[in-house]
Amino acid sequence: MVRRARFFFVLAFRNLTRHRRRTVVTALAMAVGISIYTSMDSILVGFISEIDRNLVDFEIGNAAITAPEYWDERHRYLLDRLVEDPEALLRVLEEAGIPAAPRTTFRGDLIVHYDPFPEDGSVPMVFAGLDPELDSRVFRLREAIVEGRWLESGREEIVLGRWLAEQLGAEVGYPVSVTTRTRDGYRQFLELEVAGIYESPNPYVDRNKVHLPLDVADLYLEMKGAVTSIHLKLPEAIPGTADPAPARRVLEAVGAGPVVALSYADMTEEFTEMMEMEEGFTNLLLFLLAIIAIVGVSNTMLMSVLEREREIGMLRSLGLHNREIRLLFSLEAAGIGVLGAIGGLALGSVFTGLLVTYGVDYSRLMSEIDFAGYRFDSVLYGVWNYGTMVSATVFAVLVAGVVAIFPTRRILKKSVTDCLRHV
Amino acid sequence: MITIKDVKKDYIDGDIKVHALRGVSMEIERGEFLSIAGPSGSGKTTLLNLIGCIDSIDGGEISIDGEELARRKAKELVEIRRHKIGFVFQSFNLIPVLSAYENVAIVLEMLELPRGEIRERTMTLLHEVGLEGMENRRPSKLSGGQQQRVAVARALIKEPLIVLADEPTANLDSGTGEALLKLMKRINHDRGTTFVFSTHDPMVMDYAGRLCRLHDGEIESDEKRSV
Ligand SMILES: Nc1ncnc2c1ncn2[C@@H]1O[C@H](COP(=O)(O)OP(=O)(O)OP(=O)(O)O)[C@@H](O)[C@H]1O
Ligand SMILES: [Mg+2]
Repeated sequence: MVRRARFFFVLAFRNLTRHRRRTVVTALAMAVGISIYTSMDSILVGFISEIDRNLVDFEIGNAAITAPEYWDERHRYLLDRLVEDPEALLRVLEEAGIPAAPRTTFRGDLIVHYDPFPEDGSVPMVFAGLDPELDSRVFRLREAIVEGRWLESGREEIVLGRWLAEQLGAEVGYPVSVTTRTRDGYRQFLELEVAGIYESPNPYVDRNKVHLPLDVADLYLEMKGAVTSIHLKLPEAIPGTADPAPARRVLEAVGAGPVVALSYADMTEEFTEMMEMEEGFTNLLLFLLAIIAIVGVSNTMLMSVLEREREIGMLRSLGLHNREIRLLFSLEAAGIGVLGAIGGLALGSVFTGLLVTYGVDYSRLMSEIDFAGYRFDSVLYGVWNYGTMVSATVFAVLVAGVVAIFPTRRILKKSVTDCLRHV
Repeated sequence: MITIKDVKKDYIDGDIKVHALRGVSMEIERGEFLSIAGPSGSGKTTLLNLIGCIDSIDGGEISIDGEELARRKAKELVEIRRHKIGFVFQSFNLIPVLSAYENVAIVLEMLELPRGEIRERTMTLLHEVGLEGMENRRPSKLSGGQQQRVAVARALIKEPLIVLADEPTANLDSGTGEALLKLMKRINHDRGTTFVFSTHDPMVMDYAGRLCRLHDGEIESDEKRSV
């Protein structure tokens, strides 16, 4: 069979040269499909990993420790499910070599007044008290400071995003007020000063979040040392894929109070919907690619089979089995698939290369539409996704090979003599 | 070697039943050079197709080397064709994208012989049919006579039990046709290969060692001749 197969390869390849233009056009259609598929996938995966990176670096880390059920309820900002003794936990995490940063996230109103601000105003905001020393072990907010300076413990001050600062007309040194509620639900009023302005690639953090020193938040919110969460930075190659097991082991070893370690996936369940959307979109593209392959290849192969009917009759009279003739035509079609895949990978690599290097700038789109819930920068970069390239290739070749069976089978239903009589 | 006993074959053409063969009986011996002659529509092609296992028998029986064909499954018939039967067609039916050499070698490739043997046998045979130096030419670069020689070589290469040639000279001019017949005759003589060929050309019939005339699906005459 091996020897025979070799000969079939030779013949199938030669058959591709009979109508070069037809072969090339069909392969080109496949190439375009494959390149669109791979580059769309590149940008979509880039989009997702951008979101992952932004979440990991600016909002949640790649794992966290919270009170049980805190995470599901976190958007209610009730301060009733807390990590009561973060100090002890931070100590054991430190011993275990796991970078950790405590944060207390709460809601309040940010109030600004005319002069120095251009006008009076009050906006509901999410506030995060953070430990100015520990925070940069996990997050990259500190690096994002572009004006003023980073927070200092014990000082009644905030840092906020460039976008928000521009909206409010805030500048470094300006006084702001915050109204919120304490842990026990009493109204509280804080007077703070803008210490710095950051510019992060995470629009949510830039627009909807204000940061202040953790001890200041602790004092005014009467937290008695408790925090809402401790964020961790566990080793990982791709953002959002860290294994939370080390953190869980630490928690188990110390028998820490009522707390749980959450993985990145635990914390981003709401995004799975988007991931599914992405997957759905990719599958739709794959489906379209399949249609191109099926229609293109079956049409081309149908023509090939029909015009070679007499030759098929001759091969059958020579003693070729039907399966061998099917194999011959499938190999020929798969050859078109291979050509299409080569072209598609070449074309797709060019597109992907451009997407990876230059990205897609949609800042104009961004300034008009507020994607508050989604976290991405205004330039979206593609990523190299070799898995997709390989699977698109395999898929194209397989689909082409399988599709060829149908027109071939049609001819093989005829008798040998009918095939031979064909003119 | 080949026994044909009261073979019948009908075709349905629209509503009409055509009796292509109405009960043909004959015995073909090893080494014969047999011509099936007869006017158009007399059933020559039909008979060759039945012997060649590419069409189904409607009545009677054909056996090759004692094996009765009617009992065989389609796949077994393919194997019989693969190993025992060589075809030569009126319109050559070479594969245009393969060289003369490859058009012949394909048969041995199917039999999975060692590469050296394939090369050896194919080259020898191509020389024998007078195609020395043209092994690498594609059919489009060969004359009709040369193409039919390739086809003859293709039929012979597996050293079949029988070579079936349906009007092998009909697409050739008379000189070329005669040369082809001489070649076939020589191979028949030198190698003892059995040939059965159909024709309605009297010149071709002259070469036959045995002439079997068909008319309207029946054998009209069957005579041995000395040439
Ligand atoms: N597939 C078919 N369908 C219907 N009728 C057929 C078919 N094949 C052959 N016939 C009929 O069977 C009869 C014998 O045909 P066959 O081809 O065997 O004749 P032939 O002697 O080879 O003729 P020719 O010299 O024209 O090639 C003819 O009447 C022909 O019309
Ligand atoms: Mg005929």
